[in-house]
Amino acid sequence: MKDKKAVWMSAFTNVVPAEYEKWMEEMEAQGWHVDKIGQWSSIRMVFRRGEPRKYRYVYDMQAFPQKDYVSTYQSFGWEFVGRMASSFLWRKPYEKERPEAFTDAENLEKRGKRFAGAASVSMVLFWAALAVILIVLLARAGSLRFDDRLNLGILLVFMAFLAGGMTYVVRKIYKNRKE
Amino acid sequence: MDFEKAKKRFLPMSETMFYILLSLKDEERHGYGIMLHVRDVTGGRISLGAGTVYQSLSKLQGDGLIRAAGEEDRKKRYAITGLGGWILKAEAARIAELYLNSEELR
Repeated sequence: MKDKKAVWMSAFTNVVPAEYEKWMEEMEAQGWHVDKIGQWSSIRMVFRRGEPRKYRYVYDMQAFPQKDYVSTYQSFGWEFVGRMASSFLWRKPYEKERPEAFTDAENLEKRGKRFAGAASVSMVLFWAALAVILIVLLARAGSLRFDDRLNLGILLVFMAFLAGGMTYVVRKIYKNRKE
Repeated sequence: MDFEKAKKRFLPMSETMFYILLSLKDEERHGYGIMLHVRDVTGGRISLGAGTVYQSLSKLQGDGLIRAAGEEDRKKRYAITGLGGWILKAEAARIAELYLNSEELR
């Protein structure tokens, strides 16, 4: 049996913070532990086989954390697992009641809104980049041969597919902002 | 922020905000100390989480209702400001009125 397992694109298959937390907790329950996460963990995350554990994971996005952000979480017994860009991941073992870091609806929604806001900004930047590519390509389309026009068409369909996918993801994040 | 503006922004106050502000009324405390105090005065009913405490303190400090009052073991202590005290009193008056008007329902 293998002792290590790499999971690719986990942050793209569990896009809502609450989903991501649940997914990490399920991995723990199946005995797959992560020692530390870093910048590239959203692309590739390595788990080590161990005993099944009952852990609560918390995802929190803080673009400009204050000096006492980390110490506040730590004093409440949360272990700092790591950060991917401005996303912080915390965990805590528990037995009966699943602990919460956001104990009121207002602050939980704020956490969700922050993430939805960041996802929206990425989406707009992505669209802008696509629009620039599109304009450049279309401006040159007149001088293209048939084959190249066909390729351009395929590329346009692919870009529309990407833009649609991105929109779907951001809408899903926004809809689940209160979770 | 002036009193009227703060009143518009903070009143009515969530229970979480009220208890956090109340816990700083007579004593400087850090985040974890606030959680312990609130748990104590509510008989264990409210146990604030780290994210909630951190975000609430940031908001209260940003609007001048509390201020940083020093540090111990890397943990920041907070104290209520004059503005914070007034807002707390205004909220207490609002709750007292609520209490008076709801008494006949008991």
